[in-house]
Amino acid sequence: MKRYGIIFLLVMLVLSFTGIAAAQAQSTMEKIKNSGVFTIGVRPASPPFSFINKQNERGGFSNELGMLVHKGLEKKLGKTIKLEMKETTPATRIPLLTSMAVDLVTETMTDTRARRDSVDFSITYFVTGAQLIVKKGSPIKGAQDIAGKRIGTQQGSTNERVLREKYSKAELVTFPDQAAAFMALQQGKLDAYCNDGIQLWGLKYKTPNPDQWEVVGNYISYEPYGMAMRKNDSDFRAVVNNALMEAIEGGVYFNLYDKWFGPKSDVPYPMAQSTKDFLLLQVVPK
Amino acid sequence: MIFGFLGMTYEFRWSVLWIQPHLTWLADGILTTLRLAAISWAIAVLLGIIFGAMRTVPFRPVRSIATAYVEFFRNVPLLVWLFFWYFGAPEAFPEVIRQWFIHHGIEFWSAVAAISVYHGARFAEVIRAGIQSIPKTQLEAGISSGLSVAQTYRLIIIPIALRLIVPPATNESLNLLKNTSLAMTIGVAELTFSTRQIETYTAKAVEALTAAALLYLVICLSISTVMNRLESKFAIPGLIARGARAEH
Amino acid sequence: MGFGVYGGGTLRLAIPAILLGFVVGIILGLARLANRPWIHYPAVLYIELIRGIPLVIVIFWFWFLVPVFIGRPVPEYWVALTAFVIFEGAYIGEIIRAGIQSVPRGQVDAATAGGLNYIQTMVHVVLPQAIRNMLPSLVTQFIVLFKDTSLASIIGMMDLTKAAQTVSERELRPFEMYIFIAVVYWAFTYSMSRFSRWLEIHMSPERAS
Repeated sequence: MKRYGIIFLLVMLVLSFTGIAAAQAQSTMEKIKNSGVFTIGVRPASPPFSFINKQNERGGFSNELGMLVHKGLEKKLGKTIKLEMKETTPATRIPLLTSMAVDLVTETMTDTRARRDSVDFSITYFVTGAQLIVKKGSPIKGAQDIAGKRIGTQQGSTNERVLREKYSKAELVTFPDQAAAFMALQQGKLDAYCNDGIQLWGLKYKTPNPDQWEVVGNYISYEPYGMAMRKNDSDFRAVVNNALMEAIEGGVYFNLYDKWFGPKSDVPYPMAQSTKDFLLLQVVPK
Repeated sequence: MIFGFLGMTYEFRWSVLWIQPHLTWLADGILTTLRLAAISWAIAVLLGIIFGAMRTVPFRPVRSIATAYVEFFRNVPLLVWLFFWYFGAPEAFPEVIRQWFIHHGIEFWSAVAAISVYHGARFAEVIRAGIQSIPKTQLEAGISSGLSVAQTYRLIIIPIALRLIVPPATNESLNLLKNTSLAMTIGVAELTFSTRQIETYTAKAVEALTAAALLYLVICLSISTVMNRLESKFAIPGLIARGARAEH
Repeated sequence: MGFGVYGGGTLRLAIPAILLGFVVGIILGLARLANRPWIHYPAVLYIELIRGIPLVIVIFWFWFLVPVFIGRPVPEYWVALTAFVIFEGAYIGEIIRAGIQSVPRGQVDAATAGGLNYIQTMVHVVLPQAIRNMLPSLVTQFIVLFKDTSLASIIGMMDLTKAAQTVSERELRPFEMYIFIAVVYWAFTYSMSRFSRWLEIHMSPERAS
């Protein structure tokens, strides 16, 4: 028994070293140039950011931004690069990135200082924050009103963490998914449900009568979405940021925003003026 | 320690289990699991004795009611019952009662209802098998001594049955304990919920799940050890539990 | 209402799970009874480990670990199937073990005396009798597994339970929806347990209680 155990440990040790070694071999630009393939991490069902439609095509705001980065990459390298989209989830996206299975994570990922220990982020391409959704006419107008109230969150969300830290007087009820939490809200078991503002607007417009629901409150947490990439890869990061900056500067970005979040879209999410200013100010001069 | 295998790397960090508030979450999770299990178990055993006995009495209507209860509740997955008792049943209650529950831990009590009714049906089967393995002569002797059917059951049959069924009853009790893990789907902050929460905050799924698995194992092993001791103490010489087969 | 798809999801999971679980169960049952300690003890360890933890934990284990090992996200179906086979295999292993132990020792002796080796004895003499003895328990376990497939909905798989959740959210009539799904499950499992009784009576009338 002992013999097998030692052999097993040795095999694991060797494999673990190969894992680390592979992760530090090349820079991303070299890798893309050599392999001719650029892989981005996307989600299958996260509209309007990233989803698969009925015709089995991938679409969405984040996906289209990823395609802009792809074009910028081709321009910089001066050759055609194949774009591949690989499915990631919040649990798998960082491991996939560090093991070089994916080069850029374009799905909705909040840029946080803690995460910057593991990955680097592009400039912010979308701004939202945690808010509350309530029944129309509810006395809750924002986070300041939730002490002693039953607030629902989703298991695994950063919102739960924020509420717990900043508003400990609220009674938190956590559900495995948004659908269950919203049903509890509809039945009056919750006074409010907390999630990223953009998710709440999407939820509101999916109900049979959106007018019955209100998204209220200032941002309880600040959720800037950035694209994640491997650390210490400044050449690649420059290319990604340049692509995004050009899109913002040239107006392509705002057209895309209007397409997915404008008044005529499925999920209208008006952009605050301060957000627009912030995005424009991120564009440094050439 | 980094673990690389076929394309992904995972970094182990067992310390996440010890730091606050994770340790508190685990502790609270265990306490909630035990509380949920204990209360549900008590109600389930009660329901089991009542309906299990009802299935063996010589009166057809009584038997039918009990059979209906058992067959309906135990053939449906517990998860469906949890959703029913949390999202469905409260809607049938008057507003006042609903509001009271909402402000007094409705998630916990819906879970108690679902688990105790479901396992009550399963205990009923175990107890029925136990009662049916008692020779009919005991019942006849009781009645011919002047006791009513109900008294015979209460004073003779059920006490004997309870001692006969310790092994399958232990099995069912452990199932109940393990099934409390399902309560997380309606928001009860028990042990499995706590480990998922740790995973969310730290992304260290392996450590959190290992901790949960070990804790469940320890609790289950302790209970079965205690029950095995009890079984030897309470064994009735001369009466072997025939037909006390574990039902689904 | 599209229930065919969801019901199909449940069956798509339950049927392969029971078949594969059966194979795993036979291997485990035999291993548990093996004389060599390096086969016997791992089997015991595995069975006792699985029986001490909830199925939900096993499902989550595989949900997180399988993608790490394979290197890419895995559809819920395969995660759920793996978890079910590993989990139910342990319980089936115990049933098979009890079945093997219920075959009279004389059968094995006669087979050996007749010149059969271990494998031939097992395949042609012991296992057929063991399985026949345990058929009611095996069908019971299938019913258990069928109900357990509802847990796959926790990781998002489209099965009957998920169907009930989705529709009740859309139509906002949870009370009726969950009662309806309860009846659907009940119909399946009740008929399976009736079938089990029938099997018991027709295969070993002397043993039926």
